[in-house]
Amino acid sequence: MTQTKHIEMRNVRKAFRFFTLEDLSLDLEPGQIMGFVGPNGAGKSTTIRLAMGLIAPDAGEIRVLGHLLPENQAIAKRDVGFVSDEMKLFAHATVGWHMNFIASIYPGWDAEYAATLVKRFNLKPEQPVKGLSHGEHVKALLMLSLARRPRVLILDEPTSGLDPVARHELLSEFMDVLRDDSRSILFSSHNTVDVERISDRIVFIDRGRLVDSRDKEDFLDRWRRIQLQLAPGVTLPDLPNIVGRVVDGHFVTLTTNDFSTDLIARLGPAVREVHRMSLEEIFVASVLHHREVAGQ
Amino acid sequence: MNTLTSKLIAKDFHQHRWLLAGTIAIGMISLFVAGGGTPMLFNIGMLCWLTAIAAFGCVLAMLGISSERKERALLFVLSLPLSFGDYVRLKLFGLLLCFFVPWLTLTAGAIGLVLVKAGMPDGLLPFTILLCVFLLANFSMVLCCALFATSEGFMTLAIIVHNIAISLFIFLIGVIPEFYGHLQDPAPVWGPAFWTVLGIEAAFLVVICSLPYFVVARRRDVI
Repeated sequence: MTQTKHIEMRNVRKAFRFFTLEDLSLDLEPGQIMGFVGPNGAGKSTTIRLAMGLIAPDAGEIRVLGHLLPENQAIAKRDVGFVSDEMKLFAHATVGWHMNFIASIYPGWDAEYAATLVKRFNLKPEQPVKGLSHGEHVKALLMLSLARRPRVLILDEPTSGLDPVARHELLSEFMDVLRDDSRSILFSSHNTVDVERISDRIVFIDRGRLVDSRDKEDFLDRWRRIQLQLAPGVTLPDLPNIVGRVVDGHFVTLTTNDFSTDLIARLGPAVREVHRMSLEEIFVASVLHHREVAGQ
Repeated sequence: MNTLTSKLIAKDFHQHRWLLAGTIAIGMISLFVAGGGTPMLFNIGMLCWLTAIAAFGCVLAMLGISSERKERALLFVLSLPLSFGDYVRLKLFGLLLCFFVPWLTLTAGAIGLVLVKAGMPDGLLPFTILLCVFLLANFSMVLCCALFATSEGFMTLAIIVHNIAISLFIFLIGVIPEFYGHLQDPAPVWGPAFWTVLGIEAAFLVVICSLPYFVVARRRDVI
């Protein structure tokens, strides 16, 4: 029997006055951490708002835990934890008040885990929300989401504006969530270091269009930067899957998105060095190539 | 009403508890002053009583809806298992209920003052009732605008209209002979003008409270 996908988007379109999200399809499987990466204004937050039922698609279909959105969002959201860097708790209340409030709504609230998180994140339940720093606020929101033990965690730029220590603490906590392989995380960020650290599936988005979507290891295995030194009078053969080419005299740097030993064999003795690429380098090369192909 | 809805309404009561208590206290003190026995004290007291209810309504709509949106707590509320339609309905019901507590107390206080206080003519009763119902309808208008509004400018305009409407209402009611001719009567006169104005107020209340329910609650793009 196939398990229900946690998030399913099929040919989703959403148009605004100055921006259109076009033909977006993606699947979040149980047990998966999907890193959703894109530059500012790429459509990450729009996609996440569609996945939370906060906006309705103009075309296409969205299902979360099998429930059609936005119509059945109230049912779907029982098992979804959502944290956004734009989200705020009630300023007049304390952290402890919010814990009691969430505990009274969600039967799955894990008080012991909540207490552990409060301690780990150095939160004070008696502290009013209006006195929390940005980092503490994000931690409080995550504590409230995580202690509900949701099946799906949707995080929109959760580490934005956090110091490295706070980011490390939060990312470690996300990894812990995935110890239970029936849970999943959709994690949007423009910080590729965070995404590379925790994600096992990565989606690149740019200017409202999906650029690429693969397993993280697949991305890291397939992308390479190859440095060549060409002999005088020698020209490069026509090569497939070359997405970037920088020529500096006899020195050429190629970027490929489908690296293989065959490619090295074809290039022969001109090859000087082959570099693995970081996710950030892959992301930038992928987006630039996509824009070039699209003629933008 | 499900658990989440009732919890969120209880949250609104908890959040605005001091505002509710303060409004009731100021309104009751104003009524006490109004019953002081001189026309000047009556005017001062009733002006403060009126201001307390009207200002409370505006602040309640601003804090309960506009500030929640502005301070981005709305996104937190909408992350909970409810739809935007549920949110609109619970805000409409919850904040009306919040308003009801001081409004009902101060309306009862004003009616009590007219009926019980010696030297206060009972002829004031129809005008007092119409004014109280108008204040409820006027609050509903601001509440409805707060649910519709996506900009601060629109909300500011709604508050200006709310404040002007009170003066206009008093002026317009004041020129109807059935009211001004009987204000000093020892017994109230429940004539056709009273029932007509009350009917218009009731109809306005129903329409204004239905608008968010049938229009705003159906919005598909919320944030």
